[in-house]
Amino acid sequence: MKNSYLFVAQISFLWLIYQFGLFISEFFHLPVPGNVVGMIILFLLLSLNIVKVGWVEKGAQFLNKHLAFFFVPIAVGLMTYTSLLKESGLALAVMLLGSSIIGMALTGGVAQLLSSRHSKKEKGEDASEHHHSI
Amino acid sequence: MNTITLFSIVLTVAAYGLARLLAVRFSSPLTTPVFLSTVMIILVLAGSGITYQDYTPAKEIMTYLLGPATVALAVPLYHNRDVLLKKAAPAFWGLTAGTLATVVSAVWMTKMFHLTEATAASAAVKSVTTPVAIEVARMIGGDPALAAIFVMIAGMFGAMFGPWLLTVMKVTDPFARGLSIGTTAHGIGTAQIVQEGSLQGAVSGAAMGAASIFTSLVLPWLFPLL
Repeated sequence: MKNSYLFVAQISFLWLIYQFGLFISEFFHLPVPGNVVGMIILFLLLSLNIVKVGWVEKGAQFLNKHLAFFFVPIAVGLMTYTSLLKESGLALAVMLLGSSIIGMALTGGVAQLLSSRHSKKEKGEDASEHHHSI
Repeated sequence: MNTITLFSIVLTVAAYGLARLLAVRFSSPLTTPVFLSTVMIILVLAGSGITYQDYTPAKEIMTYLLGPATVALAVPLYHNRDVLLKKAAPAFWGLTAGTLATVVSAVWMTKMFHLTEATAASAAVKSVTTPVAIEVARMIGGDPALAAIFVMIAGMFGAMFGPWLLTVMKVTDPFARGLSIGTTAHGIGTAQIVQEGSLQGAVSGAAMGAASIFTSLVLPWLFPLL
């Protein structure tokens, strides 16, 4: 029983931070949506030790595990666009999927290449007593 | 709450639960929970004559926690903060190269296929999370509803085939994998890659945020040049 109270309290706390993020985003006309602002705020609160990770951990783990669920009702909205997708479906598919594949390959490839180079460099410099920092 | 709304909620939860079970038993892109449960729900709704409009009240209730769930990504981010700081430079360059390549290739392909300018503008924003995509699409002359659909398709595709494609392309580093999915497939991709590991999920969530900031800053001046 105590656990479920804790759980609800943690999710309510995350909800509060989300609302605060929405407010900040609208108030300052940020180009960043409220949910991302909320994520940054919570990260800062945790890093500055203002919020202990134990205060939110259980609720956050649950929401992370089922994040996909919250996108399902939105994705069901695709059913209203079947005629458009039928009309120029092939061209759209090639464009959407093609550009996604290009983006994925470049993002992952560049990051992997640079980070493996970086860690090699760091290993080499360990010997000369100082760390290379970015 | 009326019967249709109640039915829609029960249907959605059941479809999601079933899809998760199937995903564990038969691991394949086609059993990606967000895809499989969406297909099951659309089939049932179409079969029972329920429109998306009828389904909308249920959608509002069920997506109520999407905001807090996105905020919750700060927790894995916090746990992995050391790796993230250490790899800030590869992350920055990967994200920049990937985002630019996605935008440029999407816009050029819409032109190649003689699709409309509004389609190109809507396609340019497809990698970022829906609220940002809608805003930026509006700024550059796209159609917000179409942009939301493209975002959904890009996310689904990333969730279903992203991890497999990255493996085929020999991107095995967990950090690079998370970054790649978050940059190109936002929250939907993140929801999937977080199942692969906490580091992947954390990096993907951070990349989703960073890509949305980057896109909203760069696209308004980049798009007219393409």
